[in-house]
Amino acid sequence: MTDATVPSSGTPREVLAGLGELTRQVRAAQRGAWFPLLLFGLLTLGGILVSRLTTSIRTVTTCPPAPGSADVPTSCTVVTQGSPLYWTLGLGLAYAAIAVFYVRRSRNRGVGTPVRPYILAGTALAALAAATAFWSLRQGVLEPGAPFDLWGLRLDPAAGTTAFLERLIGNAAAIGLPLLVLSWVERSRALLLLAVVYLAVELVPLSTGWAGSLGAPPWSAVPRLGVPGLLLLLGALGFGLAELSRQRKAS
Amino acid sequence: MIAEPGQHPVNGLDDVVHQRVRLGILTVTHQARRVEFGFLRTALGLTAGNLSQHLAVLEKAGLVDVEKGYEGKRARTWLSLTPAGHRALQDEVTQLKRLIHQIEQGGSEPGS
Repeated sequence: MTDATVPSSGTPREVLAGLGELTRQVRAAQRGAWFPLLLFGLLTLGGILVSRLTTSIRTVTTCPPAPGSADVPTSCTVVTQGSPLYWTLGLGLAYAAIAVFYVRRSRNRGVGTPVRPYILAGTALAALAAATAFWSLRQGVLEPGAPFDLWGLRLDPAAGTTAFLERLIGNAAAIGLPLLVLSWVERSRALLLLAVVYLAVELVPLSTGWAGSLGAPPWSAVPRLGVPGLLLLLGALGFGLAELSRQRKAS
Repeated sequence: MIAEPGQHPVNGLDDVVHQRVRLGILTVTHQARRVEFGFLRTALGLTAGNLSQHLAVLEKAGLVDVEKGYEGKRARTWLSLTPAGHRALQDEVTQLKRLIHQIEQGGSEPGS
């Protein structure tokens, strides 16, 4: 930051323009979106490996009745994939690391950080996602076609709104919705665009095609987590390069 | 200080705030919430002595809080705006906008 940008003593318009330029300089010094994007990109891609390692296909003898029939099969296959513990710990640690990153950066650069609303929103949504995941685990194996209990709401598992609600209080929303808050506190249109694209990929029914099914091979999480994970990493790369370029110009 | 309706906006400008270096200090501190002396000095392109003089004026007027401390062995001075400082900056910007409006309207008071 080498420009001497004391507001001009010229016309009121020039004075206001000078103040606007100072404000932009401070905002540029406060931004650091590449770090949360990098962490969440790595966390999401790590989820692929965790999904692969936790995939379990078991044959059990206590089965719910087949849909539309009173007959109870003698055995059935239960497929589980993914670990709520991974996401709970991962999101919690990520938001703690982001808070530390912004506070240290603020001290080093000598300029305050407006990141508190982002950390609070992220932590609250991560806690909600974790609570929902553990609530769902308590329900055990659902009968095919039986209503799905989501915090006391009896939802039709086949309905699109159920899938949307599940995703809205899931891990991806705990990453994407707070990114909207970060784009607001950092006054960054580029980050707003990235957050909207990320949320569209994760929340809009468009993504159900990438979700894979539980009966699919163990690497079925690759498209479901790979696409948003790469999007976040590309965002981190873009914001990181933009910051480097600003620093080079300033020095 | 806000000019009364009918008064020229120039009368609403506070000399303590309107001085261009002090206006810069208030603007940076407002956006940054807390700002360190070194950041301000670089951002405004001032010498330490010059910046200190202007800060003393703003502190005396009750517009900024100055907090001195150490991080390790390094002495650091952090500044933040007082509620009066936030109001003063807002009033200044309002008056400047009124002035621009008045100039563009050829001298007539907005709303008159």
